[in-house]
Amino acid sequence: MKKMGFKGSIFIIPILILIAIFSLWPVLQSFTYTFFDYQLNDRSKAGLYLNDRFNVDLFNESSTYIDLFLERDMDNITEEEDVAKAEDLMARLDELDQEFEGESGVITIDDSVKEDIQAFHEDASTLVSNFNEKYDMQTGQNLPDIVADVDNSLIESNFVGLANYKKAFKDAFIGTATINTLIFTGVSVFLELILGLGMAMIMDKGMRGQGFIRTASLIPWAIPTAVAALMWSYLYDGTAGVVAEIFANIGLIGAPTDLLQTGAGAMTAAILADVWKTTPYMAILLLAGLQTIPKSLYEAGSIDGASKVQQFINITLPLLKPAVLVALLFRTLDAFRVFDLIYVLTGGGPGGSTETLSIYSYKVMFAQTNFGYGSVIVMIMFVIVAIIATIYVKVLGADVMEKN
Amino acid sequence: MAKQKHPNSSKSNWLFLVVLAFYLVVVVFPFLWIFITSFKSTGEIFGNNPFNIIPENPTLSHYSSVIFDKGIFTAIWNSLVVSGVTTIYIVFVATLAAYAISRFDFFGKNLLLGIVLAVSMFPQMIVIGPIYNLFVDLGWTNSYWITLPYSSITLPMAVWILVTHFNQIPMALEESAKMDGANRFQTLFRIVFPLAAPGVFTTAIIVFITAWNEFVLAITINSDASYHTVPVAISFLRTQFEILWGQVAAATTLVTIPTLLIVLFFQKQIVSGLTSGGVKE
Repeated sequence: MKKMGFKGSIFIIPILILIAIFSLWPVLQSFTYTFFDYQLNDRSKAGLYLNDRFNVDLFNESSTYIDLFLERDMDNITEEEDVAKAEDLMARLDELDQEFEGESGVITIDDSVKEDIQAFHEDASTLVSNFNEKYDMQTGQNLPDIVADVDNSLIESNFVGLANYKKAFKDAFIGTATINTLIFTGVSVFLELILGLGMAMIMDKGMRGQGFIRTASLIPWAIPTAVAALMWSYLYDGTAGVVAEIFANIGLIGAPTDLLQTGAGAMTAAILADVWKTTPYMAILLLAGLQTIPKSLYEAGSIDGASKVQQFINITLPLLKPAVLVALLFRTLDAFRVFDLIYVLTGGGPGGSTETLSIYSYKVMFAQTNFGYGSVIVMIMFVIVAIIATIYVKVLGADVMEKN
Repeated sequence: MAKQKHPNSSKSNWLFLVVLAFYLVVVVFPFLWIFITSFKSTGEIFGNNPFNIIPENPTLSHYSSVIFDKGIFTAIWNSLVVSGVTTIYIVFVATLAAYAISRFDFFGKNLLLGIVLAVSMFPQMIVIGPIYNLFVDLGWTNSYWITLPYSSITLPMAVWILVTHFNQIPMALEESAKMDGANRFQTLFRIVFPLAAPGVFTTAIIVFITAWNEFVLAITINSDASYHTVPVAISFLRTQFEILWGQVAAATTLVTIPTLLIVLFFQKQIVSGLTSGGVKE
């Protein structure tokens, strides 16, 4: 094998750029989101603000009005001491004004400025409420609101450290979603493996029409999951759905409407739709594995007097193991991140009974626009996926990684 | 492929045929039923006899409404553009990378392979948030730029399939090309590419189907109806209170046709692509 050298690096620069921008950077960015109270629908939280910030425009506006209102009411303030206090306050306001001269929009500020503004706000609001009690102020109704805007122009950092993770530990929805995801993944992958293996062995018998069977098998795999999900939601429909009708007639469910409108029914429906879509794919993968097993082994087996069952256990299973494990690994991860199927078929309902981690995180991110907390859920998925993958790779040993 | 094995008894032969027939019925039935429904009137679908196999008054009204009112062809066009562009650039980038991985020794090669494998495993949901924000900042929402983030789902599998194929092409050919004075790119495109063409073609089909089926990115980033891809457009056929089953059926029938054609014509390549990752040859 050649050394690549400088010129050769042109071969891998495109893939490095694409993976860096569209796969690795988003992962790191999502991880960063988890440490912020990052909510798109709240202007003060719609970004990652490590520092406190200050809305200069809002401050200037309120400062102008405070000046204006206090001057207008100066005549109503009778006690000399209070006049001095009011003038002192206006002087402090002038100082702050000068500090932000030439600035506009939202700027970052440091702690001392922040403290000055907070102190000013506190003093101003006590003074204003004092005045309101003592005197009949012309602007008495509006002044407190204007003073409050001084505080509103301070936008605090939305860095929350591990608070989102703490919240996740107490969030019952995450527990439910995890259990739903694991049930969906476990049951559907198990059924797909058993049925897929059975189908693969039947197809391996080499009957006529194999091409036709293979073509038919590829169709469920090839059509978009969202399209398949909508198709099944029609077949499962309580009034117009033929599958719901058949299930009710043979006594699997009480009434046709039970399928999508009860929790257990909806989960079963989702699993069956997934089994329908993926078993043929599994069968094709396993068939390819079966066809690499030399037929002479079976002939030798039957000469030695091994029964079909013995042949299956002693020849087929051990030799098929790598193919089975690879298929299982990718199917498990696929099922674990299930989104399209459930989003279109049940939307996570009824009552959250089919809400998986993907669905929950998507709802938190894009329906509640809470990217910070949504990213925590995604990170939890990431960790579980890493655990599943590690277990499989350990079991597989060198088979996956050393292929190349 | 079709090694004829002779079953011992005709009894087990019959059993196989029955199981096989049941399998085919289960696999094909949903399509068949959707196809039948697409010709039924709305009155019949929700009426007293919704389960007739032959429509009472066959109608093409659902087809005309998904074509003319819902603009299903816009969605098909969008899907063709997005999946086509994705296929072209992903296959190009993946071919270069897979060739380098298969032929050269370079620093961080195992790391690159590890990252490619990891990207193919992680939940797609993890990239959605940042990609959405990036696209909003760049003003790229509702555009064909969506093909770029499609790389995170298609690139790893493309590299994986191509590396397997390149590893099967003997090095000797390239060495003789080098002796004749060809540079690396000439070697790749004149010698290796023609030999790898079946593998590249297989990769292209799998990438195309994967991009065609993508849903989460498309519904999140291209939310405007004029940029809906097929899966998204179909999922929007449900209204708030009722789902227009006739239209769903007609639209599903229409959009399944391209997929059916691809599967019919390229089933050998698809199977070889699907299995090259998992089975040693």
